[in-house]
Amino acid sequence: MFAAENGLKGDPRLQAISQAIRVVPHFPKPGIMFQDITTLLLDHKAFKDTVDIFVDRYRDMGISVVAGVEARGFMFGPSIALAIGAKFVPLRKPRKLPGEVISEAYVLEYGTDCLEMHVGAVQTGERALVIDDLVATGGTLSAAIRLLGAEVIECACVIGLPEVKGQCRLNGKPLYILVEPREIDNCC
Amino acid sequence: MEIMHKASSSLSCKISFFPSPDNIDSPRTLATPFRHSSASSNSQLLQLQLNRSKNHRPALSPLRCTASDSVKRQEMAGKDGQDPRIQKISSAIRVIPDFPKPGIMFQDITTLLLDTKAFRDTIDLFVERYKDKNISVVAGIEARGFIFGPPIALAIGAKFVPMRKPNKLPGEVISEEYSLEYGTDKMEMHVGAVEAGERALIIDDLIATGGTLCAAIRLLERVGVHVVECACVIELPELKGRDRLGDKPLFVLVDGA
Repeated sequence: MFAAENGLKGDPRLQAISQAIRVVPHFPKPGIMFQDITTLLLDHKAFKDTVDIFVDRYRDMGISVVAGVEARGFMFGPSIALAIGAKFVPLRKPRKLPGEVISEAYVLEYGTDCLEMHVGAVQTGERALVIDDLVATGGTLSAAIRLLGAEVIECACVIGLPEVKGQCRLNGKPLYILVEPREIDNCC
Repeated sequence: MEIMHKASSSLSCKISFFPSPDNIDSPRTLATPFRHSSASSNSQLLQLQLNRSKNHRPALSPLRCTASDSVKRQEMAGKDGQDPRIQKISSAIRVIPDFPKPGIMFQDITTLLLDTKAFRDTIDLFVERYKDKNISVVAGIEARGFIFGPPIALAIGAKFVPMRKPNKLPGEVISEEYSLEYGTDKMEMHVGAVEAGERALIIDDLIATGGTLCAAIRLLERVGVHVVECACVIELPELKGRDRLGDKPLFVLVDGA
C-alpha cells in the first residue's frame, strides 16, 4: 500500500522525496527507466525524511529485526534499525556472507539469482521488517520473505513500480511503499 | 593525543545520537511474546563464539592509538584509557577462519550489527569525531561501507555518496582502477555527486592493504574534494594499509591483529 493512501496523504515530505529521485533512461538496458535513489541520498533533508517516515511507522510495532536487501537496502535499513532499536541483518548475494548461511533462489527475467542470510541471525518469534529501495516484480522481496519465514511483519520500499500497484500484499505479507516511479517528463 | 583525549572525555559524557528505545535496557512488557534485542543478540553472540575454533587466539585486541601518522603512536594504557564502548564493539565482531580462502581470518561485522547497543555505539563514536569538522560528504565503499556510512551522514548533516563496483551506478560515472592480489578492479562514483571544495569522510568496515581506500581517495581528489579522513571499524595493521594512505589520516576503532 502506498504511504499517501495510508495516513500520509498530502504530506509534503513525500513530494520532496519523489522529486529527489532521478530517472535514468535505458539503464541497465534499453526500455528500462531506472529509478536512481542516489540523488535522494545527496539531499540530506529528503533522505532524513525518508528514514523518519519509516521509523515513525515501525517504531511501535515491536520490530526486532530489519533485514536489508543488498546493496541499496543497506543504504536505508541500518538507519531505521538503529532508530527503532532493532538488529540489522544483511540479505546478500551468494558467497558474500562468511560462515553458515541459508539460501533462497528467485527468478530473474533471464535465469535465476540467489539471496543468502546468516544462520542464527533471526530467531523464531522475532518480528522482522524487510527493506529495499524499490519493488518491481516482487521476486527479490518474495525470496527475502521465504528466507525469513513467518517472522516477516511487513516489507517496505521507497519506490513501488506499477506491477505492484493495487497489491497490498506480497507472499501474504503487507507491502508499504512511499512513492511511485518518476517519469522522465517530470524530471527537474 | 587526540584520540586519547576524546576517549577520556567520552567516559564522563556519553552522547548518543539515536534516541534510546525502551527495549534496550529493560525487558519489554508487551503481551506479544518476543525476545528483546539485547538478550537475543547476546545469546547469538555466545552461540557464534562457541563456534570459533578453540585453537586460534582471539583476533581482536583493544584499541591502539589511531590518530594520524604525524602523531606519535602509543599503546593504550590499559583499559582505563580506552572508551568503554570499544571493548563491546570489539567482542561483537566475529572471526571466521579460512574465508574467502584458506589462511584468511575474516573479520565479520554482521554480528556487530546484531548487537543493537554495540552497533549504535560504533556509529556514535564516528559521529562524535566528525560532527564538528564541517564534513559535507560521507563516501561509503560498497557494500559494507553502505551499512555504516548513511547513519553517520544523517547524524552529521552530510550527504551520502556510494562508491561502487563497475556497472552498478546508472548515468555518468568516473572510474578508478586499483590493484588486487591477482589482477585489478574498478571503483566508480557518479559525476556531479560531489563538488570541488567539499570536505569528505570515506568509510568502510575494514582496512587491509588500503588499496580500496586509496582508489576512493583518488576518485574524490580528482574532482577537487578535500578528503579529511578515512574511517574504518577494523584495521589489519600487519598489512600496512595506513602507510599506503600516505598523508591521509586514518581513524579506526579496533585492531584485527
